Amino acid sequence: MSADEFDPEIERLFARSPQMPDAALFTAQVEQKLQKGSQFRLLALSFAGIIGGVVAVRETMSVNLGSGEGVVAGNALGQGIRGVSLNTQGAVQTVLDQLGLANLELGSMGGMQMFWIAAGALIAVAAAGVMKLSQDI
Amino acid sequence: MTQSLVDRHDVELAALAAAGGRREFGELVRRHGSAVRGLLRRMGAQPSLADDIAQDAFIQAFERCAEFRGEGTFAAWVKRIAARLYIKRVAREARYVAEVENEDAAPATDHAGLVDLDEALKGLSEPERLCVSLCHGAGMAHPEIATALNLPLGTVKSHVKRGLDKLRARLQPPGQSLGSAQHVG
Repeated sequence: MSADEFDPEIERLFARSPQMPDAALFTAQVEQKLQKGSQFRLLALSFAGIIGGVVAVRETMSVNLGSGEGVVAGNALGQGIRGVSLNTQGAVQTVLDQLGLANLELGSMGGMQMFWIAAGALIAVAAAGVMKLSQDI
Repeated sequence: MTQSLVDRHDVELAALAAAGGRREFGELVRRHGSAVRGLLRRMGAQPSLADDIAQDAFIQAFERCAEFRGEGTFAAWVKRIAARLYIKRVAREARYVAEVENEDAAPATDHAGLVDLDEALKGLSEPERLCVSLCHGAGMAHPEIATALNLPLGTVKSHVKRGLDKLRARLQPPGQSLGSAQHVG
């Protein structure tokens, strides 16, 4: 502002702001909005983490553990693991179906790619947890 | 001993808010909410719109709290955020282009018989009111206002000058001459 337009009286009047009668309500509304925003972020990150985790479990269980190469504990163990693997795959698939991700083409992605996606999602969940904790403390 | 929120300085509260402290930020909103809302109303926003924009400004301030370095006051910083949000809204509606003059409106007086600034501002055209409020209420420089409003600098300067002249005239208590207005050059 140039010296020409400096007017202490006008400045003083602008600096004097009236206290609004509903100031407490306004503060509460802002705090509520902040709370909602934080909850939404936490929810989004948690959802991403769950999806990533489910995908990671599914991909891990897809690995053929009983391929016959270097069998150490015998066929019974191999069959047991295969059984657990199939059960888990079934359960994970059910979860994916319920989430509307039944047609997700995970097979087209490389194992390493899937690993990093899952790891990223888990890190995001951990970060959200830390953020939540720091806000609560 | 733990210091209560009320005793803490704005800069300290802002630093805590930057680390995610919502309670500390709530204290800042409690302290400066009325000033930000008041500025938006002085700029010409309807009360409900002013409150909406003030809320958005505080949310934005919370998210950008780490950027506040305490070089100016926290209130001034949030006021500038709010002013910019309002300008965006006004620019979208192209309202400041409209030159609505309301020079016949008589300024109201408060209980002490003093002329009320808010009432006096109503006597200014919309661009004058906006420019004067941005300059004196939000502490923005003329070039900054010109950029924000996408107006030539000369136009902004003349809006501010005309607006201030009108304000000075309207803020005179009845019976006093215009020449007695305080004007530091």
